[in-house]
Formats: sequence, C-alpha cells, structure tokens
Amino acid sequence: MNIRNIAEKAGVSVATVSRVLNHPEHVAPGTKAKIESIIAETEYIPNWFARGLNFNKTATIGLVIPNILNPENMEIIKGAEDVAHQKDYTSLLCNVENDVNKEKKYIDNLIKRRVDGILLISSLLSEKDIIAILDQGIPVVHVGEVLWNKSVSSVSIDSKEAAYNATRHLLETGATQIGILHGTTPAVENSRKIKGYEKALKEEKISLKKEYEIQVENTIEGGYLGARKFMDLPIPPKAIFATSDLLAFGVMDAMNDNNISIPKQVALIGFGNIRMSNLVEPKLTTVEKPLHKMGVVGARLLFDLIEDKSEQPEDVKNIQFQSKLKIRKSCGHKERIGEMF
Amino acid sequence: MNTIFLGLKLKNPIIVSAGPWSRDGQSIKKAIEAGAGAVITESIVSDVIIDVRPRIAYNGTGAQNLRLYSDIQIEDWEREMKIAKSGGGIVIASVSGHTPSELAYLATKMEFFGADAIEINVSNPMGESLEILASDADQMYLIIKEVVNHVNIPVMVKLSQTASNISRVAKAAKKAGASGVSAINSVRCILGVDIETGELMLPTYGGYSGTPIRPLGLAAVATVSQTVDIPICGIGGIDNYINAIEYIMLGASAVQIGTTVMINGFERITEIVHDFETWEREKKIKSINEIKGKALLNLKSFDEMKVEPVVCYSNKEICVEGCNACIKGCMYQAISPGNGDVIIDKPLCTGCGVCLFVCPIKKLSLKW
Repeated sequence: MNIRNIAEKAGVSVATVSRVLNHPEHVAPGTKAKIESIIAETEYIPNWFARGLNFNKTATIGLVIPNILNPENMEIIKGAEDVAHQKDYTSLLCNVENDVNKEKKYIDNLIKRRVDGILLISSLLSEKDIIAILDQGIPVVHVGEVLWNKSVSSVSIDSKEAAYNATRHLLETGATQIGILHGTTPAVENSRKIKGYEKALKEEKISLKKEYEIQVENTIEGGYLGARKFMDLPIPPKAIFATSDLLAFGVMDAMNDNNISIPKQVALIGFGNIRMSNLVEPKLTTVEKPLHKMGVVGARLLFDLIEDKSEQPEDVKNIQFQSKLKIRKSCGHKERIGEMF
Repeated sequence: MNTIFLGLKLKNPIIVSAGPWSRDGQSIKKAIEAGAGAVITESIVSDVIIDVRPRIAYNGTGAQNLRLYSDIQIEDWEREMKIAKSGGGIVIASVSGHTPSELAYLATKMEFFGADAIEINVSNPMGESLEILASDADQMYLIIKEVVNHVNIPVMVKLSQTASNISRVAKAAKKAGASGVSAINSVRCILGVDIETGELMLPTYGGYSGTPIRPLGLAAVATVSQTVDIPICGIGGIDNYINAIEYIMLGASAVQIGTTVMINGFERITEIVHDFETWEREKKIKSINEIKGKALLNLKSFDEMKVEPVVCYSNKEICVEGCNACIKGCMYQAISPGNGDVIIDKPLCTGCGVCLFVCPIKKLSLKW
C-alpha cells in the first residue's frame, strides 16, 4: 500500500492525502475523516525515508559518545534522549571507543542518513573537522569541555575549578602527599583537572612531584593499575584524587586487595558522581557533575538550532554548569554537615 | 488600584509568589482570576527533580518546606504559559540555577514563552550549599548582568535574609541592571523536634515562611529601601492587607504572598486585594506613592532616638483576677499588687515597656 493507492481509494489527489498526513489543518474536516479512515483500514505507514527527503527532516539526531562502558556517558545520553523523545525524535547512538577515525566515520554516516543534528560528547575531533561538519549545515552541539567552543554551542562544567575544589578538600582533611590519577580520555578535561590539582597544591606551597601524577586508561582496570603504581613508590601518597569515579573504583579494588584501608590509610576522591559511587564501601566522595542536566540542556541547544526558523544562524551558546563536591566517606572528613549541602 | 512595578502595569500591588501554588498554567490562571496583580511561576530549573514526600510542615504560625523547584520541564512551560495567560494578566517567570549562562538560558526561554518579567531565584535555603549564592554580591552581579543582557523584559532579583549585608547584594543587582528586587526568600530552618523519638518534623533543613518571618522581611525591605534606589517587592509573612501596607510603608512598591495562599486557599488572594482596596478608598489614597515609605520617616537610628524619662502609669481598669502578668514580667521589680489594681514604684521603673505588652487589658502606658 502506498500513498497513490490511498488517493485512488479515496477518490482524491495524492497531494490531498499528503496534506492529511502532514498539514491536516489545511484539509476540509469531511475529506480528512474519510482519508484517515482509509489509512487506518489499510494500515498504511508513510515511507519514513521518503518523508525525510520531502521535508528535509528525518526526525533523528545522532548521539556520539566516546565510550559506552563509562556510565558517565550513559547519564548524559539519558538526559539527551529524554528531550529527543519528548520532541518525537529518534536517537542514533554511536559509540566511538575513543577512536577519532571511528568518530569521523560515524559522523559521516550520520550525515549521509540525513540526521537533523548531532550531539557530540567529549569529541576527539579537531576544530577543522567540526567546521567541515558545520559547513554542511548540520547543527552540532558539544557536551563537555573542548578547545573549539567558540565555533560550537556547548554545555560543560569548569573541570579545572572542580578539580581545584576536590584537591582543596583533600588538603583540608589534613593530607599533604596527594597524588592524581588521571585518565587518557577525555583529553581536554583531564588536562584541566591536572591544572586545578596543581593550582591547589601550589597555593599551599606543596612542591609538585612527577611520580604523584600518573596517567592510565580511564577505566576501573586503569585505576587498579595506577593505584598499584602509587603503592610501589618509596613514599606512597596519603591521598589520591582520581579524575573519574571509574578510576576511583579501581583504586578501591587495589587498596582492598592490599589490605589498605580507605579512608584511614589513604583518602580517596573521585570525579563524576555516577550512581555507583553512592553504593561502594566506603561511599565515594566525589565531584558531582550534573550529567543528566548536561544531556538535557545539550539536547535543548541542539533542538534550538534544528527548530530555528530565522534566517540568521543562532549565536554560539556555551552554557557552563556548576559542579559540586559530594562529600561522603572516602576522605575521612569530620563535618557531617558537609555531606548535606 | 493600578500599580507600576518593574515598569509593568499591575491592577494592584498584590503578587502571588513563586511556589507550588503557582506550579502550572491552571494554578497561575486561577490566582490571576482570584485578583492577583501578578503571579510568579514556581521556580523553573534546567532539569527537574522528583519531589520528596512529605515536604511541608506547619506549626500553626510558620511553615517549613522542602519543595524545591518546578517539576515541569522548560519545554512544557510553553504550553503552561499559554494556559496561564489565556485570560490575560501578568505572569513573571521565576528561574533558578547556579551559573550566569545557565540562568540566562532559562530566562530567554521563558521570555520567548511570554513571561512579562523574570525573577532570579538563587536564594533558596534548602538543598543548595551551606553558603547560598545570593549572599555573594560579586557572583550575583555576574549572574544578573548575564540575564539582563539576554532578555528584553524586566528582571527582578529575589534576595535572602541569609546575606550578611543584603544592601550589598541589592546594590549589585542595581549595578547589573536589574529592574527591581524582592525580599525576602524563606529562611533556613528546622521546624521542631519530637522529644519522645528524637525525630525532626521534616528530616532535612528547609525554608521557613509565614507569619514568624515577617519582622525579618520588614527589616530587610526597610534596609534595602534606605540604601539602594531600586523598586522593592516585599515578601515574608503577609497574612492580610495590613501586613501588605506595612511593607509598602517601609518602602516596598509591591508585595508577594505565598504561605497564606497555601494555608487558606486562593480566596485569601481575593480577600487581601479587596481589603487593601477598601482601605485605600476609605483613606482616599489614589496612588501607592502616597503611602510608600511613609514609615521610613519614623525609622530612626539609635543615636537619633531622644531619651524621654517615661515611666509606667496604670489607668482605672480593674485587673483580671489573679493575672499578675505585669508583676512577673517586670525585670526591675517596680510593680506590686494592689486591690484589683497594681502599684507602680516610679523610681524603680526604667520605662522599658514590657508590661504594656503582657497586660491583657491594656491597663498600662508610658508617660512623663
């Protein structure tokens, strides 16, 4: 059954059927009812691809994420999908496994499939790559810190400030030998987190030690290996700032295997506040990144661009959210009120 | 009585504040129909969170609430604003967030959806950090400036009693281009403890509102009014038209009511507006400006107060049998019982004034 058959059955033109499907307010009520009943009777479903060609809209967006196994990304995706679903859009999820070539290939495919917009999360692309996409008229919004946010609307937090506050918290609990365990990805955020960590130490006139800055893969396993490296040092750090909750879980696992108590012997702070951070023992003190909100507002900015009917392209909007220290039990702090606010 | 506030023409100065009573289009419409001069939406945020239950406790005079923000996503406020404004009326959008860019985005959306003005609310005492954002004048300046730069409608800023210097924040608001301020937001509180069980009335800190915070609100409005030239909307414990006039006489151009609507229903809006307008008619007052700030003229500094050698005198009213309230209440032992009367030892009396307020029959007064 196609649109022509419906038109024949109803004794109207193809254009009238099309209007019923797409602009029913322009069709006389009687004709509309008749055609709708035939459509219902014949169980006709409009060709989705044909619609896309006709309206230059496919009601799909691409969600490009660096790593599907990192729960941070899932929280963001959930937020974005909530908005897309409400707009009656379908989301295509592309997991690029931290591989820039895979990311480029996926984006190429999304464009070929005529998606209406792309939400990039912690993208590996260069500014040149991004401008090439924008030049094709595809709306793009980025979630996370990037170096090219002058070109693209984005939502992010200030990772440097957040890392500074996390390190300050460790200092306030009395630690001076503080190590940072940082992941290889996402690159921009990690380098900013290191800057925040170093700023906090410098302020307290604590000299930076190369061996206290360890880079590993941003996974639980990476965290485990990094913690082992710290333990093997002649003077292991008394406090560890892990730049993601996954890394922190790995550290917990390693400490547990070596009968080192958190927080009694080593204080630990994570980053992200993924759901599991509240379930591990001891409950993880971490930086709360408003992940769901970042997904929601990222998608909102994308739909602002998709739905923008004005001739002028909208200004690039960079929305920065506040992150917050989520004080729990892994740092050995004393003030209970810190956990409440 | 028409009132110009934030450059908006209100049919009266009684505004319904942001709260669960203005949570959606229907409730806002209802409040407008009840006679409100304007209605402020419940505070709108970037991402909604689920309400806790229960979230409100009331002890007969004051309320503690844990209700944080609107549970309607901003996309859906487009529809709600249409409903809210379908019968006409002024709707102000309350937006809440933590950073300049976040708040500016919410404000532009609500402007697009038809809000007549914005109220920036970063002064809620619950859920946020120990030190609330609205107590930091520098941060507030950045936030307000960003919002003002992004919208073409007036912006009002809700101030907090918690700020150590509320004038500094109000000055920052003016400097950043705000069209007005509102004061005060609810105050961080714990309503009470059950001493049998050790349980709290509500399990976390909340915002205190209602009659008991009115003296705090009055002082805040007077303070801002005496230090910053910016239109003020008085909030806090307004239960009736008299309270509304008190705020106006201390410098407010308009007032907000909330808790009283929650406890007594939307009829309370109609009542307050009616009583307010009746009072004005009786007093032949044509414009709010005739009474605005009237009480500020009598608000003195400590140094300006002339010390009159007043002492307590009693009139001929016969005491309530066995009352002794003034005798117990006299810190200077200047009052002793007489026969259906009291005897005042004038040299002992220091004219403090407590006895006047504890006497149930208004028998006592201060004179010299």
